[in-house]
Amino acid sequence: MPRLPLGAWVDSGVDFLQSRLSWLFDAISALVTGLYDGLVAVLSAPAPLLFAGILAIAAWWLRGLLAGLLAFAGFALVDSVGLWPDAMSTLSLVLVATLVTLVFAIPLGIWAARSDRVSAVLRPLLDFMQTMPAMVYLIPGIIFFGVGVVPGIIATIVFSLPPGVRMTELGIRQVDAELVEAAEAFGTTPRDTLVRVQLPLALPTLMAGVNQVIMLGLSMVVIAGMVGGGGLGGAVYRAIGNVDIGLGFEAGLSIVILAMYLDRMTGALGRQVSPLGRRTLARARSAATGAARVWNHRPQPAYAATGAVVLALVAGGLSTFGGSGGEDGPEGADNIGKGRTVSIGYIPWDEGIASTYLWKELLERRGFKVDTRQLEAGALYTGLAGGGLDFQTDAWLPVTHAQYWEKYGDKLEDLGSWYGPTSIELAVPSYMKDVRSLADLKGKSGQFKGRIIGIEPSAGAMALLKDKVMKEYGLEGEYQVVDGSTPGMLAELKRAYDKKEPVVTVLWSPHWAYSSYELTKLEDPKAVWGKGDGIHTLAREGFAADEPEVAAWLRSFKLTEEQLTGLEAKIQQTGKGKEQQAVRAWLQDHPDVAALS
Amino acid sequence: MSTLQAEHVYKVFGNRPDDAVRALEGGGDRSELRADGATAAVIDVSFDVEPGQIFVVMGLSGSGKSTLLRMLNGLLEPTAGRILFGGQDLTALSARELRRVRSTKISMVFQHFALFPHRNVLENAGYGLEVQGVPRADRDRRAAEALALCGLEGWEMAWPDELSGGMQQRVGLARALATDAELLLMDESFSALDPLIRRDMQDQLLELQRTLKKTIVFITHDLNEAMRLGDGIAVMRDGRVVQQGTAEDILTRPADDYVASFVQDVDRSRVLTADAVMTTTRPHRPGADSCGCPTVTADTPLAELCAVSARVPHPVTVTGTDGAVVGSVPQDRLVAFIGDEQRAPVRCSEVAA
Repeated sequence: MPRLPLGAWVDSGVDFLQSRLSWLFDAISALVTGLYDGLVAVLSAPAPLLFAGILAIAAWWLRGLLAGLLAFAGFALVDSVGLWPDAMSTLSLVLVATLVTLVFAIPLGIWAARSDRVSAVLRPLLDFMQTMPAMVYLIPGIIFFGVGVVPGIIATIVFSLPPGVRMTELGIRQVDAELVEAAEAFGTTPRDTLVRVQLPLALPTLMAGVNQVIMLGLSMVVIAGMVGGGGLGGAVYRAIGNVDIGLGFEAGLSIVILAMYLDRMTGALGRQVSPLGRRTLARARSAATGAARVWNHRPQPAYAATGAVVLALVAGGLSTFGGSGGEDGPEGADNIGKGRTVSIGYIPWDEGIASTYLWKELLERRGFKVDTRQLEAGALYTGLAGGGLDFQTDAWLPVTHAQYWEKYGDKLEDLGSWYGPTSIELAVPSYMKDVRSLADLKGKSGQFKGRIIGIEPSAGAMALLKDKVMKEYGLEGEYQVVDGSTPGMLAELKRAYDKKEPVVTVLWSPHWAYSSYELTKLEDPKAVWGKGDGIHTLAREGFAADEPEVAAWLRSFKLTEEQLTGLEAKIQQTGKGKEQQAVRAWLQDHPDVAALS
Repeated sequence: MSTLQAEHVYKVFGNRPDDAVRALEGGGDRSELRADGATAAVIDVSFDVEPGQIFVVMGLSGSGKSTLLRMLNGLLEPTAGRILFGGQDLTALSARELRRVRSTKISMVFQHFALFPHRNVLENAGYGLEVQGVPRADRDRRAAEALALCGLEGWEMAWPDELSGGMQQRVGLARALATDAELLLMDESFSALDPLIRRDMQDQLLELQRTLKKTIVFITHDLNEAMRLGDGIAVMRDGRVVQQGTAEDILTRPADDYVASFVQDVDRSRVLTADAVMTTTRPHRPGADSCGCPTVTADTPLAELCAVSARVPHPVTVTGTDGAVVGSVPQDRLVAFIGDEQRAPVRCSEVAA
């Protein structure tokens, strides 16, 4: 079989599209961003509990008193764990994605229902869209649309379009052929047959499709969080990266609450809008007795609307009169930024979070507006190379991030290393007293079940381990390197550590695992791992020319190991969501860093 | 009022239908076509339906009768042949003109009622008028009138699924009548109803027809129904019309064994009338109309005639609508007719031989 250069074709196809159609992508990006920003502004405007009240009234009206109370309790819970703004941006993301999806899905579904040929052509396309792993088109998405919420929304649309189209087609095809024939027999035009007979009767199936679109959209928010979509997905992604089970659960539960609310509401709306559903509901209600009558009580639409409007007015009033004034930059000579925006991307690793929030604080003190975006590593480099981000402070060069540097190095400016050297190693818990060096592993595979717990197979460390380290220390055949992910490795380490089981993992320093657990870095007498990386600051092409002062500050920036671990510890103590407060407290004790001298 | 005419109508589904029609015209067989992937559903059908007539197309499932019906209002386009209604060739009309004809001149009643479940009874009955663009008030008034005509006064605000099958079909009938279409196509409209309700509906249709005088094409697989309703009947088999005529023609002179085997199960005493059995050639018994015995008319069913004949000691006198004697029915002739025996009575020794 000759090797088909399919991948190369796709590569050049992506390059071609990017160079020829960038105006189109920019337009789409602007449109989607506009929709999203507008919706976020609206949804975040009212005080959380007031807005929860409005959502609860909607639930009361559509489903009944019990649903209303539960909705309020759910949203109050989201607010109390401090994830309200994230929840609102996730809600906006899902709603925008759903809206755009339906604009395409319903006409396509109608078209497919009326033509067997269209249906046959669409089917494999839809299969492709639904089953192609989202990560595969996320990176091209960043190339086309830049980092942020847009590629996440686009990926969500691609993923949730198929059920929308399929359910629309199914709903219309399901309508009794005799009814369609009856409409035609009385001289109804095809368009009127659609509007008067097919769509009303397909409505329950259609609404089930809308429901599916929303649910699939919600299932994509974590993926969107990896490319800078933020919101609850970003929180989950951050939690996974730090094995922060508590935050992961809180954010996950918030997604569940949103999902259940949207699911129940669209379900109820489906029954409300279809004439048949309304009649079934009315009958069920008149049959209900006793407690069921109270729990299922629903206000008259007029009362519900009045309630919602009153709450909305209160909310509007509060944000108009009670809102805090805008934060102005510092006065005088310190105001170098004069309100210009700098965007920093970061991988949710501890040193990335610490250095990013440190720079956010430092730059804000000097009059810049700083926009921080949490991203997956590939997305971060793609975004930076595309100019969607200004700089990032967590590039491990020359080893760990070698493959990204190889691909995008010519479009990036290296502003130097601010910390180093780092090291990559294998680590075991300190209770494994007889294992001190890589050489000690030989002959002990029985204890370790023959496994070395690895991380992402794409990581530079994994390549080094498999190609060189295993060979040099004669571990090949005895041990198997388990491909996985960093969170998976950390979870396995935690599990084994808690049970005092033998375990050997790929690890690197600096890493918070060394401060959380007592671990031994296995010595490398043959120096196979090579010299460590430096943690570099990388900027987009042209940033140093646009912001020479900032570039100069970044070039001269250095932290010692003691400073970095101290800052990371401070952030961990202060708690999530308060990173900047931790940075401020830390800077009080480190005026030299604050002065950028 | 307009005449409905079908002229050498063919309908072939599948591959190369035009070639198939040419093969059929040249005496080809239906089963040969099937091997080529073409299905001939209707083959060379011609008939005329006079205004105010009920024309019944009778046949088993797969005989092509439903396909034929759908060509009469253009839901299906004939592969060959013409459909003329009031002289207008429906097969030559554009889709838009055809829709106009369907909405104003032809309406249809379906086997499974085909009521719109998301519309109440009044909205269902007014559907055809809504399509025509009749204003709401006018539409509701005319729909309510049609419903009243079908015995559904007071049910306007009910929903289709709240009605029994018979009542649902009355709504279907009202929907068809509301547009004042001249031609009514009824596709096995009473087949889904249980026998008592079916009889009721047949009676009601005949009752309505007495005043409305629509032109009706009625499809059924039930010969008894065909005989009860039809002024003219066409029997279809394998896409062809095998016999066309009145109920009496078909019962007394079946065209082939197929029709004869059908006719076997029909209760002749209820379908046939005195008309079919009476003799006008024998001289009337003098003073027949003066003895005071009961007489019958030409359209009295044989069952009733038998009851009269059992009590009357001489041939039963048949009178016309004006009371004049038109013929008589001797008992032996009546018995022979019901028994389908054409030979004359003979001596005992000869009967055994």
